Amino acid sequence: MSGIRVLVGCKRVIDYAVKIRVKPDKSGVVTDGVKHSMNPFDEIAVEEAVRLKEKKIVSEIVAVSCGPTQCQEVLRTAMAMGADRAIHVEVDPATYDHLQPLHVAKILSKVAQEEKVDLVLTGKQAIDDDANQTGQMIAALLDWPQATFASKVEKTNGELKVLREIDGGLETIKVRLPAVLTTDLRLNQPRYATLPNIMKAKKKPLVKKTPADYGVDVTPRQKVLKVEDPPVRQAGAKLASVEELVAKLRDAGLIPT
Amino acid sequence: MLALNKSFLRALIIQHTKLCRNHLTPELKLHLITQECHLWKAGVDNCPFEDPFWAFYWPGGQALTRYILDNPVLFKNRRVLDIGSGCGSAAIASCLVGASQVVANDIDPAASVAIEINMEKNGADVQISTENFLENPPSEQYDTVLFGDMFYDPDFSHLISHWVKKLPHKTTVFIGDPGRLPFLNHPLKSALQKAARYELPITCQLENNGLTQADVWKYIVSK
Repeated sequence: MSGIRVLVGCKRVIDYAVKIRVKPDKSGVVTDGVKHSMNPFDEIAVEEAVRLKEKKIVSEIVAVSCGPTQCQEVLRTAMAMGADRAIHVEVDPATYDHLQPLHVAKILSKVAQEEKVDLVLTGKQAIDDDANQTGQMIAALLDWPQATFASKVEKTNGELKVLREIDGGLETIKVRLPAVLTTDLRLNQPRYATLPNIMKAKKKPLVKKTPADYGVDVTPRQKVLKVEDPPVRQAGAKLASVEELVAKLRDAGLIPT
Repeated sequence: MLALNKSFLRALIIQHTKLCRNHLTPELKLHLITQECHLWKAGVDNCPFEDPFWAFYWPGGQALTRYILDNPVLFKNRRVLDIGSGCGSAAIASCLVGASQVVANDIDPAASVAIEINMEKNGADVQISTENFLENPPSEQYDTVLFGDMFYDPDFSHLISHWVKKLPHKTTVFIGDPGRLPFLNHPLKSALQKAARYELPITCQLENNGLTQADVWKYIVSK
C-alpha cells in the first residue's frame, strides 16, 4: 500500500524579524546582506506534509524552490524538517527580481505533473510580497480542486476534509485528490531542524533545474511602478481637559458644531 | 592515530554526549548526543565534530541491533563485519550474543573512538577498523556482513549493491533501513527478504523527521 506523493513549495524570503528598507529609487526593497529564511507559511506547509508522512498517509515529500542559489539553504531546511528530496529551479538574481506568482505557479504545476504528485502544498502567501496567488493559480493551471487557508486537514478515502479560515468563521470542505492546498497560520506549529536532522539532510538528493527545463517563459507580465514605505505616524498631543478635547475635535470637523 | 589526538577525542566525546539507554535496545549503554545535550540544537557550524554520525543511533541501526539481540542463534559463533558502524551498536550486540569475531568498520576517526568507549561500557570485545572497506574490500572472510542504515546516501547505495555481490558464496548480509529514499526502489531489493519490522521509539523519530518504523532485510550471497 503506497501513500500519496506531495510537492511542497518553499519560498526564500527576507526573515520575518528583519526591518525592511525600501531602495532609494523606489524600485523595490533592499535584499543584499539581509538575513533570509523560509517563508513561515511554507514552513507550516512542510510541517503538515511531514505530519501526514508520520501518519503514513504520505509516502514521499518533494520540496521545490524557485530563485537564486541561496534557495538551496531553504531546501536543506525543508529536508531537515523531513522532506525526502528537493528540486531547485534556479533563476538568476536579475530575473528573480521580476519573477511573479504566475511564473512560479506555471513552474510548480509542471513540476507537479512531472513528479506525478497527488497533492501540492504551499503557504497561503509569502510574507514579502503578500500576493496570495500562487496556490490558486497552480490549481487553475492543473485544473485541480483547491483548499486555501487550511487550518485543519484530515484524509478520508481519496478525499481531504479541510477546515478553512474565512471571514467571520470557519468553513469545512472536501476536496478530491489530486488537489492544491494552501496553509494558514493556525494549521500547525513547525518543528525546529535539529543537528541530527540537519546532518542527515545533507545527503538527501537535491536536483537543479531551470525554468526552461519546464518550458516556462519568465518574462514579466506585470510592472512594478513604485514601492514606498508606509506613511510615518503623526505625533499626537496631550490635552488637559475634556473641554479642550471637544474643542479640538470640533475644530477638526470631527463632531458637529 | 596519535595517542594525544585519541585521548583528546575521548574527552571531547564524553563531554558532549550522554550515556543513554533510551532507544530500541536498552540492553546497551551508548554515548549519544541526545535532546539534553547542547549540541542537539547547535547548528552544524557550532559543532566541534565534523558530521558526528556516530553520535546518533540511526533508526536502521536500532532495528538491526534489536534484531541481533532478539536472534542470537543467527550470530553465535559467526565472524561478523559491521560496515559503517557509527556508534558500534550492531557490532557490540553481535559480540554480546556470542559471535566468534567482530570487526566494526567506520572511516571516521571519531567514530572509532566512540565505538571503543561504547564497547568498554558494554563489556564487549570488538576489533575496530577505519579502513575504507567499501573502496578496498577486506582480505579476510566473514560469515555475516551488517549494514545499519547505510542507504541514506545515494552514492553508498550504489556502491553497496555492487559490493555485496562480490562477497563469497553463502555470506549472509543484514541491512537495517527505515525507508530511506535511495533504498525504497533499489534494484537490490528484489533479492532481499524482510526479516523484521520495528516501530521506532519517539526519541528516534525526533532525530529522523518523517520516519516511524524500520525494517531488517536479509540477503544470502549465492553464486
